[in-house]
Amino acid sequence: MFGKGLFTGLGITLKRMLQPNITEFYPEEMPKLPPRTRSSMGLDPDKCISCNMCANACPNKVISLTSEKGESNKKVLKTYQMNVGRCLFCGLCTEACPTGALHVTQQFENAIYEADELKWDMIQRARKSGGKEGQA
Amino acid sequence: MDALNQLPLNIAATIRSLFGDSHSIWADLTMNVINIILVIVLIVLAALILILLERKIAGWTSQRPGPNRLGPHGWFQTIADALKLLGKEDVTPAGADKFIFKIAPMILFALPMMTLAVIPYGKGMSPIDLDLGIVYFLAISAVSTLSLLMAGWSSNNKYSMLGGMRAVAQMISYEIPLIFSLLGVVMITQTFSLSKIVEAQSTVPFVVLQPLAFVIYLIAGIAEVNRAPFDLVEADQEVVAGPFTEYTGLRWGLFFLGEYGNMTAVAALTTTVFLGGWQGPAILPGYAWFFLKVGIIIFFQMWVRWTFPRIRIDHLMGLAWKVLLPLSILNILLTGLGIYIYDLVLRIGG
Repeated sequence: MFGKGLFTGLGITLKRMLQPNITEFYPEEMPKLPPRTRSSMGLDPDKCISCNMCANACPNKVISLTSEKGESNKKVLKTYQMNVGRCLFCGLCTEACPTGALHVTQQFENAIYEADELKWDMIQRARKSGGKEGQA
Repeated sequence: MDALNQLPLNIAATIRSLFGDSHSIWADLTMNVINIILVIVLIVLAALILILLERKIAGWTSQRPGPNRLGPHGWFQTIADALKLLGKEDVTPAGADKFIFKIAPMILFALPMMTLAVIPYGKGMSPIDLDLGIVYFLAISAVSTLSLLMAGWSSNNKYSMLGGMRAVAQMISYEIPLIFSLLGVVMITQTFSLSKIVEAQSTVPFVVLQPLAFVIYLIAGIAEVNRAPFDLVEADQEVVAGPFTEYTGLRWGLFFLGEYGNMTAVAALTTTVFLGGWQGPAILPGYAWFFLKVGIIIFFQMWVRWTFPRIRIDHLMGLAWKVLLPLSILNILLTGLGIYIYDLVLRIGG
């Protein structure tokens, strides 16, 4: 029938009107992120064995860590710096990590005011968040 | 319910009784001023509500909530926008025809005031009850073409000019099927008076007797008020905002107010002529039925606007002259035949 498409269109918009909204009220409610979102890095300093494999795996030389010999000749993590200005959040470092100390998190509110704040001290951040960051 | 139905008439009678002679010139003058104020309030209220409703419907059709920041569910958004418009600078472009530039929005805003004044809102509740109501309504609403052409011409801007030209081409073309579609109803009722047309629909609304005319009127009505899918006049992608391109602040706001006022007027005439006006089951007062029906027509107009893309300009003209006009003439022919056969049957039967 001529003009049938008009009614189909009206039907579709009416159906959409009655369906629930898909808008997420972001500042008031956190958005539902896709499960594989990678937007931030988290470190568990106790698990880290300072093997430096994450730093080697990184394509952009984001990670730099120092360690010292502790008791029974084991390496103990001293500093763990990430220069996230260069970080792609590709996750290659977490794949390289043998103990799962390094992980990608879904924390995405990373905006900062000073360029210096781009250098993340991961040990300090881990202490501050208290391991609350969700693991991906 | 009857008390509620008669409430506006009783209030009017009370105000009149304050004067010594309740039909003296002073009582009439007072009532006229009150009626004018009521019509203006109706237009402003309608614009405030309809702009919000339009944005809400625009949101709902794409599963968004629409304005939702100011007030409960964003109900105060239009008020904030109106206040913002009040604070804007009033710019008149260089080389503009200043006088015409300034009166064009006022004319567009004055038209719904004049047309909505003859609509019967309830039994005996038309602010002015004209015998030639339909003729007056159509004559006045045709002037909106002039307002848009004035705005387009005086702005000294090619996009405004193009928009104004389009307004003339489109609105004059659609005026003809619009008027022809109303002729069928006039032929049946034998009157141009809007209140008598409403009273003639006490048994059956004319949408049942004149379905073709109703559809033609709906389409031509949307085209008359320049709403999508017929918004060629202010097609943003082609002519910026058509005649409104150079307008700012309150003058632009007046255009907006006039547009929504005209939309209300077209919906009010649809309700009056085809949907039985204030006639309805006695569960609601007459004026409530009237505004409910107007609301349904306006919702339909908005629903159409947010569903269909803009029509091409040659298709627009083709639709008016090759489809709607022949159909409306056919409708007049069929109505005449129907009246003749009805008469014949009555004569043979009686």
